[in-house]
Amino acid sequence: MTALLEVRDLAVEYDSGERRVRALDGADLTVAAGETIGIVGESGSGKSTLGSAVGRLLPSTANRVTGDVWLAGERVFDLPPAGIRRLRRERLGFVFQDPIASLDPTMRVGKQLKLVLGSKGDPLSHLDRVRLANPGRVARMYPHQLSGGMAQRVALAIAMACQPRLLIADEPTAALDAQVREEVLEVVFSVAAEAGTSIVWLSHDLTAVARRCSRVAVMYGGRVVEDGPAADVLGQPAHPYTAALARSAPAMASLGDRLSPVPGRPPVLAEASHGCAFEPRCPYAEERCAKERPELHVVRTQEALCHRATELVTAS
Amino acid sequence: MILELDNVTVTFTAGPPFRREHVHAMRGVSLYVAEGETLGLVGESGSGKTTASRVALGLQRPTAGAVRFEGKPFPKRRRELAGHMQAVLQHPHWSLNPRMRVGASVAEPLAVLGEKAPDRVHEMLERVGLEAGLATRYPHELSGGQRQRVSIARALVTRPRFLVFDEAVSALDVSVQAQILNLIKDLQREFGFSALFISHDLGVVRYIADRIAVMRGGEVVETADTATFYTAPAHEYSKRLLEAL
Amino acid sequence: MKDWLTRAGMVCLGLIVLVALASVVNLAGDPDEIVGPRLAPPGPGYWLGTDNLGRSMLPRIMEGIATTLLLSSVAVLVTAALSAVLGIVAGYRGGVVNELIMRLVEVLYSFPAIVLAILVAAVFGPGQLAALASIVLVTIPLMTRLVRAAAVGVAQRDYVTAAIISGARLPRILGRHLLPNVAGTIAVQVTYALSVGIAVEGGLSFLGFGVQPPQASLGVLIQQGTTYMTAAPWMITGPGVVFVVAVLAINVVGDGLRDRFEPRQARSLV
Repeated sequence: MTALLEVRDLAVEYDSGERRVRALDGADLTVAAGETIGIVGESGSGKSTLGSAVGRLLPSTANRVTGDVWLAGERVFDLPPAGIRRLRRERLGFVFQDPIASLDPTMRVGKQLKLVLGSKGDPLSHLDRVRLANPGRVARMYPHQLSGGMAQRVALAIAMACQPRLLIADEPTAALDAQVREEVLEVVFSVAAEAGTSIVWLSHDLTAVARRCSRVAVMYGGRVVEDGPAADVLGQPAHPYTAALARSAPAMASLGDRLSPVPGRPPVLAEASHGCAFEPRCPYAEERCAKERPELHVVRTQEALCHRATELVTAS
Repeated sequence: MILELDNVTVTFTAGPPFRREHVHAMRGVSLYVAEGETLGLVGESGSGKTTASRVALGLQRPTAGAVRFEGKPFPKRRRELAGHMQAVLQHPHWSLNPRMRVGASVAEPLAVLGEKAPDRVHEMLERVGLEAGLATRYPHELSGGQRQRVSIARALVTRPRFLVFDEAVSALDVSVQAQILNLIKDLQREFGFSALFISHDLGVVRYIADRIAVMRGGEVVETADTATFYTAPAHEYSKRLLEAL
Repeated sequence: MKDWLTRAGMVCLGLIVLVALASVVNLAGDPDEIVGPRLAPPGPGYWLGTDNLGRSMLPRIMEGIATTLLLSSVAVLVTAALSAVLGIVAGYRGGVVNELIMRLVEVLYSFPAIVLAILVAAVFGPGQLAALASIVLVTIPLMTRLVRAAAVGVAQRDYVTAAIISGARLPRILGRHLLPNVAGTIAVQVTYALSVGIAVEGGLSFLGFGVQPPQASLGVLIQQGTTYMTAAPWMITGPGVVFVVAVLAINVVGDGLRDRFEPRQARSLV
């Protein structure tokens, strides 16, 4: 099997001088060509660090401790500067949370697209592809004149200009209105499908991700704690954290229900976790959970990093 | 009736003189919040819900229409409402003055009224699920969820009869959001305040509110009991919002 | 990299302040006493040479530093106080008040610094007061604008809105919420203004509108030094070096403060 993206045991630490934060604590992820996968996690779970690491776009304060990333057969962290630039240019597309900030404010949209396309491409057809009405007018606009939804489409057009193999979308709709949100997601997924591009969509919204992606990976404390088909992860979570997350979303509650929030709050790791990072908040925690790092357990269609995953499933 | 907005219109003018453009942020909006109830207000940005909250708080004077608080027209001077209504606002990051200790922030509404009651500050912090010892900390030492709890403590310390929650949980993570929503529900049962709960997230509003008003383009397109919103919203737009959940 | 530069600047600034303090007690001798022949090169008894009247340069430079530093500091503190009030009120209030204050400040800003200073000297008559007033007028526009910009940002924060909703009065809002949160901006600008102040004093005294001899200031000393530049280069070298080092050191410290108080959080992406 040749996966498009393979992340193995990746650990990344941020060192601000005063404080060290371990954002990734041995994360594993595999994405096959053409797959759409949603990575779900709360702030501090490490999902943005994982997304940036794929393109080696980590800030200078970040330090890769262990692990490796392979993208389209190449070891991302071993490439020379020219190699990583070529990889980003040809294989990778990024879409970020704040679309307007991701564009150059001093340059017209058309010119920015032209810069990415080189001499061969026609900017208008690319704007048309992301379903922007009146591409000619949009091409002459400056980023600040665009609405959030338009700007995100432009950012998508730029990201998809070179038909990348993988598109990483980091909370692409968080800054947009609910209605525009659906439209933008629709465009992201259909454009990627046409081009045969895999999507890694980073989000904090489990239900939204499960609706669009074929697979969902849930992150907690810098690791992927559950990974499986979207419907199963949402419907029959194998990891206690995923179950807790699903229970705490107000949209999932029925009339008169009381939300059952997870007690406590997400961890900020300073060093490698000695056991399971969810242990302090987990209702099923037992002694070994605090002492031993959980191994991968296959439960039904999912993989879960939980000592008790198998027995909890048989019990329920 | 705690708060009534009667046919309220708010118009903003923009642009250079002689070519002024008029933007209707609210157009003939009528709403009320009854004693002890929570009215949820949903809408997207640009729907006029933020303006509605500013009108309800007396920060924005309506261009036309009337606002009544506790049955009386809004006083000319906002200060006369001091202590009677408070708000919990959106950004946990900016809701507290970074140069003030948490205790001083919570005590501020009391200080404005000329009261000094350190016991009430400590008591309030404990009521929102924080340790009283947090009073001597600065906001940057707190998590987003803790800061929003402090904001709630500050809003409740004068025991107001009416509270506005403006996107109060929108910036929080899902698991923390659920904690804060439950806290608000519990505190409402305990203190009996009325509330206007504004959010773009129908899921959140549906959970917390007794009645829901949907705003779009400066107008209220539907008002109904929450139960209706779980089963059969009438307006086409409300149906779309519900489907998006 | 930035760190050691800031530290070096602070050390230089500290030394300069120490020297100024030492001059108050005439540690290196009386700056007005004639100690040797005129225009003598450095030698025993006058380690930095003597000037055109036979006074030792060392105590004169020390007095010059003290005069210039004191004058600039007082002026900059006045500027800081005025700018804080004007900038915060303009930024929080907006509307007509803002327009009025900012237009006034812009008028001042439109004059070249030295023209403004000469204008002030013409009104007050040459002397320390003229130098002081000039520094204030030259530094106030920029500081007011920056304080206002910071205040506009702070005024929109939720904690200010919450205070207004609680019924807080204007003095509380401005004093408790606005001022402490623009204080960092003011602190940074104070250092920059100090270096501008030293430069303005230098220029004005050099032209004869500022500090008047026999009192020494850096400007006065440089002016006297230029006259004898070929015969006695030590007369201008000392004050000149101190002048440049002081202005540079203060700017470097200002940069360090700015990085501390107003960090731009840039993600190094793409």
